Amino acid sequence: MTPRPSVVVTGIGVVSAAGCGAAPFAEALASSDLVRSSVDRSAGYHRENSSRTAVLSGGADLSEWISPSKARRMGQPSKQAVAAANMAVAQSGLESNDLDRAAVVVATSYGAADVTENILRQAMLEGPDAVSPALFTESVANAPAAQVAIALKARGPNLTIVQRQAGPLIALAQGVSAIVSGKSSIALVGAVDEVNPLLHSILDRFRALARPDDDGIETARPFDHRRSGFLAGDGAAVIVLETEDAARGRGARPLVRVRMTGRAFDPFAPRTGWSHDHDLLSESLRKSLFTNGVDTIDIDRLVTGGCGIGPGDRIEALVLRSLFGDAPLPPVLAPKGVTGESGGGFLGAAVLATTGSPFGPTPGFTHEDPELGVIPHDGHSLPDPTAVLATGFAAGGAAAWAVLEPVEP
Amino acid sequence: MTHDSRVVITGIGSVSACGWTASDLHRGLLSGVSAITHPKNFDTSGQKTSVVGEVPPAPETVTQKIPEWASLSKSDRFAVAAAIEAVEQSRLSTDLWAAGLFFGGSTGGMFECEEFFGRLLKTRSGHPGIRLQASQQINSPGDAVARHFKLTGPVQTVSSACASGTLALGMALDELRSGQCDVVLAGGSDSLCLLTFSGFNSLRSVDSRPCRPFRADRQGLSVGEGAGVMVLETLEHARGRGAVPLAELLGAGASCDANHMTAPHPDGMGAAAAIQSAIIDACISADQVDFINAHGTGTLQNDISECRALHEVFGLRAASLPVTSNKATIGHLLGSAGAIEAVSTVLCLIHGVIHPMPDEGDVDGQMELDIVLGASRPIAPESVAISSSFAFGGANAALVIAGWKRGTVG
Repeated sequence: MTPRPSVVVTGIGVVSAAGCGAAPFAEALASSDLVRSSVDRSAGYHRENSSRTAVLSGGADLSEWISPSKARRMGQPSKQAVAAANMAVAQSGLESNDLDRAAVVVATSYGAADVTENILRQAMLEGPDAVSPALFTESVANAPAAQVAIALKARGPNLTIVQRQAGPLIALAQGVSAIVSGKSSIALVGAVDEVNPLLHSILDRFRALARPDDDGIETARPFDHRRSGFLAGDGAAVIVLETEDAARGRGARPLVRVRMTGRAFDPFAPRTGWSHDHDLLSESLRKSLFTNGVDTIDIDRLVTGGCGIGPGDRIEALVLRSLFGDAPLPPVLAPKGVTGESGGGFLGAAVLATTGSPFGPTPGFTHEDPELGVIPHDGHSLPDPTAVLATGFAAGGAAAWAVLEPVEP
Repeated sequence: MTHDSRVVITGIGSVSACGWTASDLHRGLLSGVSAITHPKNFDTSGQKTSVVGEVPPAPETVTQKIPEWASLSKSDRFAVAAAIEAVEQSRLSTDLWAAGLFFGGSTGGMFECEEFFGRLLKTRSGHPGIRLQASQQINSPGDAVARHFKLTGPVQTVSSACASGTLALGMALDELRSGQCDVVLAGGSDSLCLLTFSGFNSLRSVDSRPCRPFRADRQGLSVGEGAGVMVLETLEHARGRGAVPLAELLGAGASCDANHMTAPHPDGMGAAAAIQSAIIDACISADQVDFINAHGTGTLQNDISECRALHEVFGLRAASLPVTSNKATIGHLLGSAGAIEAVSTVLCLIHGVIHPMPDEGDVDGQMELDIVLGASRPIAPESVAISSSFAFGGANAALVIAGWKRGTVG
């Protein structure tokens, strides 16, 4: 069997509540600048005592990366994905001709929430004849991946992965697979989510969202003893993957190497939650790292999906504690404390963390949960990492992880 | 291109308008009679069209095998039922602990989600209980199967519209070849819902009669529902447990038109690229392909684009290569279309016949294809078939499936 080629990231684009671009996103992570917005409650979907805020990216100015005339025909997820993809490709230095066989793999949890709601409103309130065909084409979950392909003329495999919080790292695994199998030489891998009032109200009915503190502010508090839920978040991130040989051959500077990816499933997790017992996922992660020659002693940074939801943070913490045994955990980053529960935010943060981008203190963390034994990053200066383990444990049982490494110039 | 592992199919299951088993599907497709009709349990009032490929009520023989039945959405039920049938046929022990799952779908539990939303808007009666949303996500049917069989391997759902099921089978093939798993369940499931039925009607791409792919008077597709699931394993694993494969999954290919959100590339370039890629992946030549289970939706644009793609790949042979489309009988199952059509392709290979389409309407004169109408065609058991899917957004996918001569393994 021939050795697996080294796959690297050569470009990143992000659309977040902090604005359009990886730079404002990195600044928000460094300063823990949490950009909350009030969610519009005028449709009457919310219950009286529901959560009220989310980390929303809809105000980001995309005009530098997608023309208003093209954006006008797209839903928010599509236009943000196209903008992020254009940014990532620009940073990678790839030319449009290079992308002809490029694969596009995009993860999304809920797809185009707003467009879908509008179609259903039209059909239910005005009758099926009122449904707009233009809206329907943007309602499909693969609209962002398709629009990225159309914008960049990427004619390789086009995949949309839907696996909740594990989706972004599964998309990464599929992107790597497309390259390693030789089916594509380049893969654009991303994650995009959209939170609209209906989705926000549904998440609240599941009691998944952070509750207001005594002062009325909703904070996610990843891994904190007082955590009460996550902040809904949206936005997009896209990265460019290619082989290290190809990148260096064209004079590009690789940013991050994808050393390995892994996935597993916990069949005992309830449909909308997590198992109480962590042993199964702990063993799967341990075996996956071992099989890929990764020793936990080499891992010096963790990028977690910790978002403030009780059982989700708990299982992630227990899996990580089990993995490291008696050894202290490496610095634990919980970017969803800043980005909200956003797949794009998580993927972008994992890549930036690997490049040594600084992270501020974890928002809302004040009280250690004794059962979890995890104290997330407090904002102090960290040395550049040598190996970053990123983990995503989804409600419903799916799990995915990746080990990322910085690349010497 | 060579591969370290050969991948075989050892179990199939399906749920469709023809019934709740693969045998029902085979009988229905062989009959040459469309199962697309006015639905009994799906509301089409106010829509431009009113015929669909609706799954009949589940027999007790199915429901009694699924203790979690009451908590599942419609598409979850289709998925779990089809998976149980596939696993039973494979004679794998029910302990599939290390197996993975690759699934395709387009709307998950949208049907139940619509009930919730209708109640929220007060256009439907009842309390908008959050339980209606518990299976809303598109990954719900795949997760339901993984939960039913207690799988612990990789579990992932792809939602690339109508190519999802075929893409899922292609991902499963890659996974088995990579050595990450020895056994996977793969397929797809979707149910009828207001969102897609209204959407396709708004595009005026639904035929008011049961769809007639490749026919001159075709007016569009027919929406259907159901699931198709396969047990895939490495040949080595199948041999190790003495299993007799039903067929071999030789290759998979995928591409994107990168051209338009709804219309296929008029020259069929992307579709041709996916089929060619699958043939290369299968390490065969186009000359070795014996028949095509086409995407064949019955829309004006798709069928002509697909015809051009087949001519691009097969050249002069395209005119004499038998082509069928299951959609004429069961409708377009959207995210699970590719999965059930792959199941149907395996049924053709097992039984040595190509399923016909109902013989209604003249073949479009622009289609220089050998369309299988009215009566089945015999094929050799070692035949090679292409099963293909082309989706919104230009996502294209194709599989190469070969018959397995019984008795050569074990």
